[in-house]
Amino acid sequence: MSVSVLLVEDSALVVGALHLLLSERGFAVQAASGVREAIEACRHKVPDVMLLDLSLGDGSGLDVLAALAAPTRPRVTVAITGHDERRVREDCLRAGCRDVLVKPIDSMTLAGRISDWLAEEEHRVRA
Amino acid sequence: MPRTYTDQSPVEERLAMLEEQNLRLARELAELRNQDALKMQFLSNISHDLRTPLTAVITHAEILRDGILGGLNGRQRESMLGIIGGCHQLLDMVGEILTYARGAANQLVVTRTEFTVESMIEQVRALSEPLIMKKEQLLTIDIEPELPPLAADRDQITHVLSNLLNNAIEFTPKGQRLWIRASRGAPSDHGATVLFEVGDTGIGIAPEHHEMVFREFAQVDASASRSHHGTGLGLAIARTFVELHGGRIWVESILGQGSRFYFTLPVGATEP
Repeated sequence: MSVSVLLVEDSALVVGALHLLLSERGFAVQAASGVREAIEACRHKVPDVMLLDLSLGDGSGLDVLAALAAPTRPRVTVAITGHDERRVREDCLRAGCRDVLVKPIDSMTLAGRISDWLAEEEHRVRA
Repeated sequence: MPRTYTDQSPVEERLAMLEEQNLRLARELAELRNQDALKMQFLSNISHDLRTPLTAVITHAEILRDGILGGLNGRQRESMLGIIGGCHQLLDMVGEILTYARGAANQLVVTRTEFTVESMIEQVRALSEPLIMKKEQLLTIDIEPELPPLAADRDQITHVLSNLLNNAIEFTPKGQRLWIRASRGAPSDHGATVLFEVGDTGIGIAPEHHEMVFREFAQVDASASRSHHGTGLGLAIARTFVELHGGRIWVESILGQGSRFYFTLPVGATEP
């Protein structure tokens, strides 16, 4: 079964590009355009991976993580931001993100990194 | 009944007029500051928002470049690399405008970590290596042994050194020499310092322009601005970063005989 990815991003342009990239790489991709929509999507069906933009129309991406309790949290959440700043990175890691990607995301390595994050998570859970 | 100027002595009259002028100037100053803050906020918002569509363009272009939707021939791939390269250049410029707007609004924060001068210079050298190879230039690096580690914002200081080195590469003809030196500087009010020098044997800068190059949007002459596709903010941002650390930046240069850019950084973690 293919790995499911929830894209949380309020720009339809970025969603379009990442959706195309990831679905062509074999991922089952869903999108949510804001905090509320993302929380609902996770409660309905928890994705394996959530790619979470920090700046959303109805709040911060980190509000999504704060609202989700353990069973509805994706196995891996990775933040996406336009701000390449150490403070932003630290806030995201503290909130439970596995990593932080700075826009523009390197499309060549994204699919591989998703697999790596999931493998690391698997390893962590077993240990 | 309110007093008029005619009821007052000449001195009182003059004083009243000056007070009125002062009030008017204070109101005008507050209004100008407000407009300036709005302008900076606009610059900050627009540069942040420009990154989003650029991200989409780059991702689509990379999907095509990597043949995910089918293979490209050599010329198609070359064209796609041109699109991606142009977008990255635009992103860098947008980033500079964003940094400048934040600096002007006093929103830049120094996040200090400890790192060695050697590791930072090596990082900068590795980033610039492709450009140096393309112009067949010779870069020498000279670091005084046993320099103390720096407690500084690594991203900001790397940006300063990269900016100076990239300018040196750009304004120095093919095949000529560039250098980076780091040594102990004269102690400042903030304690021990490290002195950095980025030098080249390039086109140089006339003495009357030495101060101007650090001002925002400065373009020294038409020929330089034609070949230099920047925002004109690079050195202004470098100066902001250095001064935020309590350091100083300056240039020594003779037109036609190369340039030497220097900056000092206090070693310690104390806030300037």
